[in-house]
Amino acid sequence: MSPNDVFDLLILTLLIGCALAIARLKDLAAAVVLFSIYSFALCLLWVHRGAPDVAMTEAAVGAGITAVLFFYALTRTGRREK
Amino acid sequence: MRRVLALAVVLVLAALMMAGVNQLPPPGQADQPVHRHVAADYVAGGAQAGGAGNLVTSVLLHYRALDTYGEVVVIFAALLGVLLVRSTGGPPTRPPSRLVPVSPVVDQVVRLMTPFIALFALFMIVEGHVLPGGGFQGGVVLGALMILLSLILGPERLRGLLPIGAVTWVRAAAPLVFLLCALAGLGLAGWWFALPDPGWLREFVLVALELAIGFGAAAALTGFFLSLAVDGHH
Amino acid sequence: MDITSGLAHIDYIAMVILFAVGLYIVLTRQNLLKKILGLNIMETSVFGLIVTSGMVDGGSPPLLGRGLEAPYASPVTHALVLTGIVVALSVTALALVLIVRVKRECGSIELDELLEPEE
Repeated sequence: MSPNDVFDLLILTLLIGCALAIARLKDLAAAVVLFSIYSFALCLLWVHRGAPDVAMTEAAVGAGITAVLFFYALTRTGRREK
Repeated sequence: MRRVLALAVVLVLAALMMAGVNQLPPPGQADQPVHRHVAADYVAGGAQAGGAGNLVTSVLLHYRALDTYGEVVVIFAALLGVLLVRSTGGPPTRPPSRLVPVSPVVDQVVRLMTPFIALFALFMIVEGHVLPGGGFQGGVVLGALMILLSLILGPERLRGLLPIGAVTWVRAAAPLVFLLCALAGLGLAGWWFALPDPGWLREFVLVALELAIGFGAAAALTGFFLSLAVDGHH
Repeated sequence: MDITSGLAHIDYIAMVILFAVGLYIVLTRQNLLKKILGLNIMETSVFGLIVTSGMVDGGSPPLLGRGLEAPYASPVTHALVLTGIVVALSVTALALVLIVRVKRECGSIELDELLEPEE
């Protein structure tokens, strides 16, 4: 296994871990923060895959804008999931 | 009960998809179908035909221009939908729960970084045809900057940046300029979305398209944000 | 089966797992915001699958004239995913605004409460 593979495996584990945590958490604010982390891990993966354009968009959209939009929706709908 | 059923559905579907992806050629080899058909042509002739060293921009604005036009229209339609949902009737709104005031550190850092982020976004948009970047990439960075600014200045101040008439035009800029370029291609070269021939004119059209897409995307994102952040009717 | 051939499809398999987790969230969670988060996870897993299929081991990003050497990653997949990300964001924004409106009109965003007949 080359260092590249190890890096890949680490990122993929982080992605799946984040997704599972999002599924389990009842606190929506925490879930949104985890989604931000998830997007940033994906962004690293894409730099590694030779897609800098996609990585930049993902960093701005997934980790930034989507999270902000979700937070503002949360302030109006309540933070806890029943 | 429902959970078990859902889990069963998901597991069956996942098993099917696993079986499917195991039949795919392993990723990472240059002789796969993905790299052989159109992609090989695009890599070989993309810089010439699209006038762009960044092949992604070349594919977006030349080979797949119609798709990109559709995407621009989708963003615009989503913005229209968001504004419509927000502005049509409904019961009076409850003010959102009080937000914590922004700490002075965040405030100062955002103020300090604003010119640099703006310059970077503009650089990505204008140089998007030769370096990583382009209309959408720069546009989302610019949109993120606008959202940051409205977090520290307040949405009302942000709204005062542009007169209301100009906002409408910037929001519609991407579909309009794209349509104009498509028509210009039809007139000059004979087919829709054709890029004009001399190199300088082609570069000019590319930069114009990317500027329109970038500012249009930034305006749409800011519109999404303001619709969620500011309540009530204006 | 040696370890490298076993690992050859690991990227694809990870994306399938992510898709399954996203679908599970969409199917079982009653909170509408949580459903949209699940939808976003499904979307990103598909993007990941597409970008992974277009990569080349040891290849460079598809930028010509910058001293990078062939083989290049496939630019088609990148353009496709770029389009997808922006459309996904538009869909998310529209859904969020609709959810806020549902909360305002009906007082709840839990699907089971919304579907209950009013007594």
